[in-house]
Amino acid sequence: MSERINNLITRRKFLQLSGVLAATTAVTNPCRVLYALTKDSGEKSASQIREVFSACDMCFNKCGLIAQVENNVVKKLDPNPKSLKSRGMLCARGNAGVKQLYDPDRLKYPLLRKGARGDGKWQRLSWDQALDHAAEQLDKIGKEYTRCGFLFMAGTDMQSTFVHQFAEAYGSYNVISHESNCLLSRNRAFLDTYGVMPTPDVLNCKYVIMPGSNRFEALVTPDSMDLMTAKENKSKLVVLDPRFTKTATLADEWYPIKPGTDMAFFLAVAHVIIKEELYDKTFIKNKTFGFEELREHVKQYTPQWAAKETDIPAKDILRIAREIAAAAPSAMIYPGRRSSDYEDSTQIRRSYAIVNALLGNWDQKGGLLVPKKVKPGSMHIEAPFYEDNPDDRVDAGRAQMMFDEEGSFKHTRDAVIEGKPYPIKGWMTYKTNPMQTGANRNKTIKMINTLDFMMTVDIAMSDTAWMADLVLPAPSYLERQDPLSAFLASSTCSGVITRDPVVPALFESKPVFWIVKELAKRLDLGEFFNFTVDDFRKAQLKKIPEVAKALKEDGVYNITGPSFGIHKGKPFKTRSKKIEFFNTRYKDKGIDPMPVYKPPLVIPENHFRIVVGRNAYVTQSASTNNSLLWELAKENTLWLHPKSANTLGIKNGETVRVSSSAGNVTIKTRVTKETRPDTVYMDTGFGVLSKGLTNIFGKGACIAEILEDKADKISGNMAMHETFVRISKT
Amino acid sequence: MIKKFTIAAIAMAFLTVSIGVSMAGEKGNARKGKYLFRKNCRTCHLEGGSAKELSPVSKTQAEWQKVFDNIDQLACKDEWAKLSEKDNLDIYAHLYGHAFDSPSPAKCK
Amino acid sequence: MTQRKKYVIIVDAAKCIDCKACMIACKVENNVPEGFWRNWINVLGGENGSVRTEFQPSQCMQCDDPSCVAACPVQATYKQDNGLVVIDPKKCIGCGNCVTACPYKARYRNPDKKIADKCDFCEDRLNRGKEPAGVVTCPTKVRVFGDINDPESRVAKMVKKEKLVQIAAPHINTRPNIYYFEGTRLLDWAVTPMLPGNINMPKEFWKSESTLEQG
Repeated sequence: MSERINNLITRRKFLQLSGVLAATTAVTNPCRVLYALTKDSGEKSASQIREVFSACDMCFNKCGLIAQVENNVVKKLDPNPKSLKSRGMLCARGNAGVKQLYDPDRLKYPLLRKGARGDGKWQRLSWDQALDHAAEQLDKIGKEYTRCGFLFMAGTDMQSTFVHQFAEAYGSYNVISHESNCLLSRNRAFLDTYGVMPTPDVLNCKYVIMPGSNRFEALVTPDSMDLMTAKENKSKLVVLDPRFTKTATLADEWYPIKPGTDMAFFLAVAHVIIKEELYDKTFIKNKTFGFEELREHVKQYTPQWAAKETDIPAKDILRIAREIAAAAPSAMIYPGRRSSDYEDSTQIRRSYAIVNALLGNWDQKGGLLVPKKVKPGSMHIEAPFYEDNPDDRVDAGRAQMMFDEEGSFKHTRDAVIEGKPYPIKGWMTYKTNPMQTGANRNKTIKMINTLDFMMTVDIAMSDTAWMADLVLPAPSYLERQDPLSAFLASSTCSGVITRDPVVPALFESKPVFWIVKELAKRLDLGEFFNFTVDDFRKAQLKKIPEVAKALKEDGVYNITGPSFGIHKGKPFKTRSKKIEFFNTRYKDKGIDPMPVYKPPLVIPENHFRIVVGRNAYVTQSASTNNSLLWELAKENTLWLHPKSANTLGIKNGETVRVSSSAGNVTIKTRVTKETRPDTVYMDTGFGVLSKGLTNIFGKGACIAEILEDKADKISGNMAMHETFVRISKT
Repeated sequence: MIKKFTIAAIAMAFLTVSIGVSMAGEKGNARKGKYLFRKNCRTCHLEGGSAKELSPVSKTQAEWQKVFDNIDQLACKDEWAKLSEKDNLDIYAHLYGHAFDSPSPAKCK
Repeated sequence: MTQRKKYVIIVDAAKCIDCKACMIACKVENNVPEGFWRNWINVLGGENGSVRTEFQPSQCMQCDDPSCVAACPVQATYKQDNGLVVIDPKKCIGCGNCVTACPYKARYRNPDKKIADKCDFCEDRLNRGKEPAGVVTCPTKVRVFGDINDPESRVAKMVKKEKLVQIAAPHINTRPNIYYFEGTRLLDWAVTPMLPGNINMPKEFWKSESTLEQG
């Protein structure tokens, strides 16, 4: 029997604020400030403070901000009310950006490892020395192991494009991103259903089922804010999550779904919608492919069957299916982002995509949209071809349908450790921290120890930097000039953002663009970097001159025009040119053309499943050492249900050992009903090895140490929720 | 019943096509193809160039298939003749492999 | 003659997601030292492993009958014309009376400046034509700020239209100027004002008639 919070309706009255927030107006400061600008003696006058636009980099959302600068010191970061994507807000991390800029632990100058890897002994180099050394290694490894013997990993950043360009000019196809530790299986599933990854129009949606996603903690702009606005407009939110998150507490209904059974739930919803003919027949006939196959396929997936799998009562599954169908097309299964959970995570998201299609919400208000996106121009380079290179990427062939340009961190790491199909001996990382975010930290360490040379460009001594041979200091986003970045974000807020330095770069930090340019010069590849960021921007702005004006005056360019009803009559980018319930390419490759449910592995006795999640003031591992944010979360704790704690004889706050086949850690417990008895949880980003993170060194535990690294079979995305742990007293 | 037959037929057709094509694809090296395409084709097939702007995502896989089955009917068939058969296969692998509706549609052009 | 301003904040706690944006924004804006906060989030639940179900932002209430002002021996803290209760750094002797006199525990002794400190609705920002940092930065716009004496202001309109409540303190009514929507819980967390050293004071210590418990 599931534990369900009672009185969801009576325990809090969700009161509507006076007036419905109009969907089309920008949400600016709600109150006009009514008095004139007064000058009190001794008070700061407005003229002393200089305001400078930029875009936040504390997570991937890039919320527009206005820096308040006094005497060339950034005093405060305010939200930019014209940034529609962020609905004019700046979260805790955004505000804490001043302490990323003025971080006492910041990297200041190039460092070369002395002693063994992980010892943390460094020697300071000049930039020339550092770059000469790196270029030497790139050249050496390129000669000995071909250019593909060097791996590049750049995180989500507006300058990562330059790292990719360098990799291309250098001649390595072994380029991976952080995305295979995150959402590639979701992208795979939606691409293979719709031919594109749509964005959800949460603002106008009337019924949202949110499986796993935790939008009131894992902030995504504008979805997180729009979800609250939608609630004010009487939208219904149903949350499926083994944890009672802050999203669950604010939902209309929450079910502590058994982890790994989302697909069962959605196949049953599909079953009800089809059986009771709750779908738009014209839409299904004209826009979808494989409906009859789907109808046949989901016959077996009844609500009664799904109840046994999910721990959710059959009558509720039935009712929810009917309710969401009645709210269609302004109804959705929220696609979410991080899908690094199970070995069949692509197929799980296929079930989300399929139910969305049954709801007919494609290109509809409150449904899944593909709004117009700004297409900046680009600079073309003609990279040389290195004849001695191997035929393909080092991680090729391990996943059934990997994204060619994203790769798979898990498979690459395995390949590097194995030395097959060919050796990789060099690694450059930029603004990514796989030591904390890639499951199974010991494997990452093993991988690093097979390398001849590893270099990291970062702003702080992350665990990944700690393990590197050469560490190069990059400036924070507030010190950088970046190219334009076009973003796609739901209704009313696609646009373009950019950055110009708010203050000059501190210490000897240098942007990665400059670093790769200098490396290119030393490797006779200078011709591919014969431009400045300004030149690059000019090329980007060539086709979109109206953007430059908005960026200058408003700090952000917001695209105008309708965002739904814009794809009428256009074919889908799929083989059948329609939305595919049945994927023939999957069938050709021996993959289930429609999702087939497999129950998750039974948790062995005396074990627990561990799941991964986020909260609103910790960005994966990038912000835990931030002096402001650290006050809110000085360490992580293991969430353990009271029943389980009782069985194990563990008290709240007690330190326990958590072990899996990947490793083990010690951590304090937090005994709480906010998780299922069979499921445990801890925040990411603690238990660091790096002594260069002085606030959090020695605190908490590293979840990557114990997470096992299974992979989604189809996309090669990391699968972290298949990890079972033992908990014991210390 | 008919629907099922149609599905099977389409699947078979794709299977045949993709076997034929993937054999060609296997012979061709898409990465070399990217380099060759940029070196030989993109100079003209660029925006503002002498020919229509083209990149892998300009066509579906089926459309690229058609193009390459009828190379002698292309406007630039003379340019194609200058390249070796291996080069042709490589370029084809790049374009087909990253087409509009491929599993890995090309991001940059 | 222009009417006196009276700044209030109306809080719709039902929309609070406990993201702590307002706490960090305030801390940065006002250089609040480590270990102290000028604003905070009250949480319903969480003790003894229970689930957390409600979040309620709070801060200094800029009361109309402030017990902190009554407690100050040197008149360093006082209520301004615009309704803000402020601290004169030149007069404050750091005795701590006002800290324990506040039923809402809104004050603290700043260890760097060695004087009392608390939320002042970001008066510096107000003078620059901006609203308080914690109001503006909020993802779900929980707080609505304004001059309740201006009939055109959003707060004035809301006070007329919505059912709003104040957090009552035991034994004393300081007439706080932060209003909460009725229907959320967490209304009973205010404490009895004390003297430093946990010394009880009789009701009569708080001089103003209106601050005494009614009825």
